[in-house]
Amino acid sequence: MTTSSTSGRKLGKQAVLYAILVLVLLWTLVPILWMILSSFKPGTAQLSPTPVFFFAPTFQHYAALFTGGNLGSYFLNSVLAAGISTIIAVTLGCLAGYGLARSHFRGKQHVAFWIISTRMAPIAAVVLPLFILFRYVNLLDSLPGLIVAYLTFNLPFAIWIMNAFFADLPPSLEEAAMVDGASRFQAFYRVALPLVTPGLVTTAILCLVFSWNDYAFAATFAGPSSQTLPIAAAQLNTQTGLSWGQLTAIGTIVVLPMMIVGLAVRRYLVRGLTLGAVTGE
Amino acid sequence: MAATQTDRDAKKSGGGGLSLEMKMLLPVLALLAVLSLFPFFYIIWMSLNTVSLINGISFEFAGLANWARMFTDEVVGAAWARAALYFVATVGIEMVLGIAIALLIHELVWGKNLVLSLILLPMFMAPVIVGLLGRFLTDSSYGLYAFVLRETGIFESDILGTSSSALTAVILMDVWEWTPLVVLIVLAGLASVNQYVIEAAKVDGANYLARLRHIVAPSIAGVVIVALLVRSMDAIRYFDIITVTTNGGPGNTTKIIPIRLYETAFRFFDLGYAAAIGLGMLVFSILVATVFVRILERRGLAK
Repeated sequence: MTTSSTSGRKLGKQAVLYAILVLVLLWTLVPILWMILSSFKPGTAQLSPTPVFFFAPTFQHYAALFTGGNLGSYFLNSVLAAGISTIIAVTLGCLAGYGLARSHFRGKQHVAFWIISTRMAPIAAVVLPLFILFRYVNLLDSLPGLIVAYLTFNLPFAIWIMNAFFADLPPSLEEAAMVDGASRFQAFYRVALPLVTPGLVTTAILCLVFSWNDYAFAATFAGPSSQTLPIAAAQLNTQTGLSWGQLTAIGTIVVLPMMIVGLAVRRYLVRGLTLGAVTGE
Repeated sequence: MAATQTDRDAKKSGGGGLSLEMKMLLPVLALLAVLSLFPFFYIIWMSLNTVSLINGISFEFAGLANWARMFTDEVVGAAWARAALYFVATVGIEMVLGIAIALLIHELVWGKNLVLSLILLPMFMAPVIVGLLGRFLTDSSYGLYAFVLRETGIFESDILGTSSSALTAVILMDVWEWTPLVVLIVLAGLASVNQYVIEAAKVDGANYLARLRHIVAPSIAGVVIVALLVRSMDAIRYFDIITVTTNGGPGNTTKIIPIRLYETAFRFFDLGYAAAIGLGMLVFSILVATVFVRILERRGLAK
């Protein structure tokens, strides 16, 4: 076997690989691109029985969402509910995750199991008791209610993942800092915390994505004054029947920010999404 | 090590109160208990009552009536059976496709990162938007995919309105969104396969399939099981896609157990009975969590 024929075979193999992956990419990307394209399509092109690929782009659907559709306030609700629950979950998750990683006590594995099973609980089974409890304490149709609802999955997630990231750090670094005169808290805050920054950012982004993308909680708890973007999108479809233009526009607004922040932490995603079980690259 | 050792000794002897670690951990766990244990015991209590929402909330103790009813309810049984079918189909297809695509991407020489980034995109989308987009694409008058299927003569009726195709369609929407997660996890496993062993096997004349079977498969088995568990857990967690596409229909062909629970609770307002169904689902996710933690322990990650 000469070198040239080996590299020729390798090239051929790569060509086949790319050909198959192009098909995979088509399957993956066509719906997304079609959604974005349709959001700029004028109404007439939208309602054509054959697909229209070329048209004069318009912002009319986006404009209609903001002027007639009250989109600004839904957007704000989404940002506040997802953002605040993320900040609370990550802050508390950092403290408890560190505490869990650095402490040893009897029954620790039971505490760990409790935390992970809270995160894994089926949403339908969580929504149900919370709905009644929220009625008692007047948290239905309120942003604080949504924030509490999102904490039910974001808090156990943040504790669990931050625990995994802190557990990776050798305690000797903090011990060395304490020998040099740092207090126990300074050893956490000045030494351990900066070292898990990638983990912290990944946790924050995943919490943000999970709560931003929520439908079930908001559909059950949110009312006119706390409606979020996913609910607005779902209602658009039932209310006006065939407003595909506005629907694709709101869809684009919901998904693009999460794709951007999600890809920004791609290297660490696998760690977060497998709840710490698989370490990335 | 010395410092933590003395910390621990101090704690054991009870001198100086709680360590900083426990001070950081306990208040947060107390909050988590309010958020999780309180609803948990509350749903158990609900399942033992007839809960009504007429004139405020009223509980009427019913003993095990809801439970007895659930175990003989054919509609709930059918919803579990459909959930099992939906579960096996979505998770099964996602695993097979995800592993295959990961193996392909792993062999790429150029553009690996770009291809992976693009393939991951659906995973970040709100499931409700995936469902609505699926409705848009399969709309019998204006849908792109409906058009293609019609023109090629593959399928000509209303996709989400026909029993056989509706189930396939919602399964494929889930597959579209979550196969990327399996790809991501399996690729992380492939990256950790020992390259020297692969090279040595090549020198010894082992072909791709032999290397796959004897070297790659055993080394990524653990990661594949993790992917399977993560997908299993989410498959019963989310029901958004079905809610906004078929909401269980047509007939009951896509009415999997979470949809049935939601409808029992918030359409028929039979909340006590819904609570019993919800606890049944919780048992399933606790089983998944048990296996998951066992695997973490074996991999030495749950320290």
